Amino acid sequence: MKKRGLGFYLRIYRKILAQDLKSKMSYRADFIISTIGMICTNISGFVGFWVMFRNFPSINGWSYYEMLFLYGFSLVSITPVQCLFDNNWALRGQVYSGDFIKYCFRPINMFFYYQSEVFDIKGLGQLAFGIGTIAYSWNKIGLEFSFIACFKLVVFLITASLVMIALQNAAAATCFWIQNSYYVLELTFRFKDYSKYPITIFNKAFRFIFTFIFPIAFIAYYPSLVILRPDAIPVLTWISPFIGIIFFYISYRIWMYGASKYTGTGS
Amino acid sequence: MNLKRRLSLTRAGIIESLQFRLSMLIIFVGNLLYLIVIYFLWKAIYASSGQEVVNGMTFSDTLIYLVLASAIFNFIEMYTVWEMGRAIQSGNMVLNLLKPMEYRKYLFWSFSGTFVTQFFFTFLPTFIIVAIVTNGAIQFGFNLLYFVISIVMAIVINYNIDFFVGTICLYTESIWGINIMKQVLVLLLSGATVPIAFFPETFKKIVYCLPFQSIYNAPLSLLLGKDMPVSEAMTTLGIQLLWCVVMMILSRLFWKSSLKQITVNGG
Amino acid sequence: MSTVIEIKNVSKEFKVLNRREGLKGSIKDLFSRDYKIVKAVDDISMTIDQGEIVGYLGPNGAGKSTTIKMMTGVLEPSSGEIIVNGRVPYKNRTLNAAEIGVVFGQRSQLWWALPLIESFKLLKDIYGISDADYKNMMDFYQSQVDIEPILHKPVRQMSLGQRTLSDILAAFLHNPRIVFLDEPTIGLDVSMKSKIRTLIHALNKEKNTTVILTTHDMGDVDALCRRIVIIDKGKMLYDNDMEHLKNFFGSYRTLKVRVKGDLKAEAEVIGKELSEFQVTADDEWISILVDEDKRKVIDVLGQLQQARQIRDMQLEEISTEDVIKKIYEEGVQ
Repeated sequence: MKKRGLGFYLRIYRKILAQDLKSKMSYRADFIISTIGMICTNISGFVGFWVMFRNFPSINGWSYYEMLFLYGFSLVSITPVQCLFDNNWALRGQVYSGDFIKYCFRPINMFFYYQSEVFDIKGLGQLAFGIGTIAYSWNKIGLEFSFIACFKLVVFLITASLVMIALQNAAAATCFWIQNSYYVLELTFRFKDYSKYPITIFNKAFRFIFTFIFPIAFIAYYPSLVILRPDAIPVLTWISPFIGIIFFYISYRIWMYGASKYTGTGS
Repeated sequence: MNLKRRLSLTRAGIIESLQFRLSMLIIFVGNLLYLIVIYFLWKAIYASSGQEVVNGMTFSDTLIYLVLASAIFNFIEMYTVWEMGRAIQSGNMVLNLLKPMEYRKYLFWSFSGTFVTQFFFTFLPTFIIVAIVTNGAIQFGFNLLYFVISIVMAIVINYNIDFFVGTICLYTESIWGINIMKQVLVLLLSGATVPIAFFPETFKKIVYCLPFQSIYNAPLSLLLGKDMPVSEAMTTLGIQLLWCVVMMILSRLFWKSSLKQITVNGG
Repeated sequence: MSTVIEIKNVSKEFKVLNRREGLKGSIKDLFSRDYKIVKAVDDISMTIDQGEIVGYLGPNGAGKSTTIKMMTGVLEPSSGEIIVNGRVPYKNRTLNAAEIGVVFGQRSQLWWALPLIESFKLLKDIYGISDADYKNMMDFYQSQVDIEPILHKPVRQMSLGQRTLSDILAAFLHNPRIVFLDEPTIGLDVSMKSKIRTLIHALNKEKNTTVILTTHDMGDVDALCRRIVIIDKGKMLYDNDMEHLKNFFGSYRTLKVRVKGDLKAEAEVIGKELSEFQVTADDEWISILVDEDKRKVIDVLGQLQQARQIRDMQLEEISTEDVIKKIYEEGVQ
């Protein structure tokens, strides 16, 4: 059997995705309702944000539009986990019912095979909403617009998204060991809500905790500084892309280790 | 349908939820993180406003309100829409309909065990800690009685809204979309994420005409209101009672008529 | 003939949580847990050659699925050695997976939302099947079963029978050397069962694929297997030809009689009279499994006739079902 490289997996993914989209389109009502649900989520998130901050010109040295930029940044950086890794939510159920066993019988990477099965298209609405928010606040703050800045933004957004993906993979993988792992997943899912505030609002101890123990600050705060504070970029911002990559790799190993421990229940 | 039968459902629910010891720890950590985030966030907001009292609420008022709102959420949210949606999609709903108890009641009483454990394990400790830490910010008088009455009605209203929305799942496959829409709208409009006092005036007026504020805002304002006149408390409770009755009738009628329609169509 | 599977003294143990009962028990469970060791598979050895169809039988919970999981590389044995296609499966799960096919329980392994043909095309890519091989296989499928009506149907819309058929076709698609079929005919109607048996038989003949089949349906065994392996409570009870087994029980005959009155009640009375034999009843017949080494059938019939009038009777060779039942109950000496 020949070696399966990145090309092989991309080709398979593209084919599954195309087929999956085709079949999703045939459930149009579901698609429309889910999209409306996603829009509702984003609008209500935004309304909550607006109600909280509209009366204050700045919070802790962050202007309203800077906060909004951070908000948009976090929306975009949590989109990939929503779109590409949504099957993690079903992992626990599949492990308990024994259906997970089917992923063990194919000669391809189990993690890839599992995640490739679901592409959550409604996350794209969030992506659009997030990009819109970033663009709007970018304009209002009066940040300089350049190709380099855009390039930086994209690179930092992608690597930042890896942090959230990593947290969710690891959280989902806990179902291989503990029974009620749903709450672990739910807990990490809540992290995304906490990631949209500047970490400077916390005191020293919690800044440390949210940087190194529950690394929520790497989902949006540190990476976004590359645009928001171009004159004083801290070291943590520069290393955040590597953090994303390393975390992702570790979470992948945990997931695979859990899957290899999997024994299958039932018959 | 006697009380004993209902209580045996309660007992089974208690046993089931106790079996998951780890989940309690995780819920605790999750709530702790939430507390930390909102504490620092609102501290920053109050600091930047430069005032002691914003929209009629002090910093500690706001914090107590939000902490207890999240504690209430943890014990009254039963993910009824999911439960119903899944039962409908898997076809298990038929089995539920064959039970010698009306499904709406059966489901409610099966949840009741979890209400009890969650009340003692999540709400009560939170309440006691908050009462001690804030030292006197919560009165101990008739307001506690009002609160208990109010929270029971809040549970009933919340459950019936959920059941109403869950019934929609008979018509569409889009459980996710329906559920998320319900959840974000209820959380925002009930004042669970941001206290209703902070809403702009017109928005506030609209929200007071909807049933949602009876779930979080009503019990919490009864609990936290200082020296509230009896007439005001009775008005709040009266409005809740009204919504209780309205939502019970609506959810019951909607379910009955939907079921008829579905059975006719052989769905 | 070459060996494709070799199992030597394999055991598998599981740690199982003892849950306590009742409200008090579950509160205790919060603080301390109590485990026990269960031996799912206990010292099993066998060798399977290319092209064999082996019936792997045993009552529920006997350890069949555990053995199959070990052969497919999903589980690591606690002790002993398994070689499949010259490899240790759990160390080379992906490599092993490329050369086996699995249909496991009633769990479809196909993409739920996709039409079957699209699933096949994806499998073609995943297993790296060449265009020629793929076309060959599809042509062969077409010659064996009428797949046109299901080819463009999403798996989620299929009936159980169609889904099982699809899963079997998918398992053979990459022409694996071994296919594991776990209860492939469970819950299917008679015509679908026979369709699936014919298909498995044809694939085995045409491609010389080794088939390991677990089933509770003796019809499957009669139609497909020359060799059977029986395990119970993790231990191997029997491994030999079907023929040999039937010879072993060659002295057994099933005597079927019909008498006046309620057959079930009569069967109970007869059961007491002939306590050395197994007596059962269905809607039409009372069946008595007679061991002719102990007593002649004619003798038994005589005794029966003394107490009651026999309206009708039949004499049959022992059925596979009865043979297996006897082995589960008594073992093979």
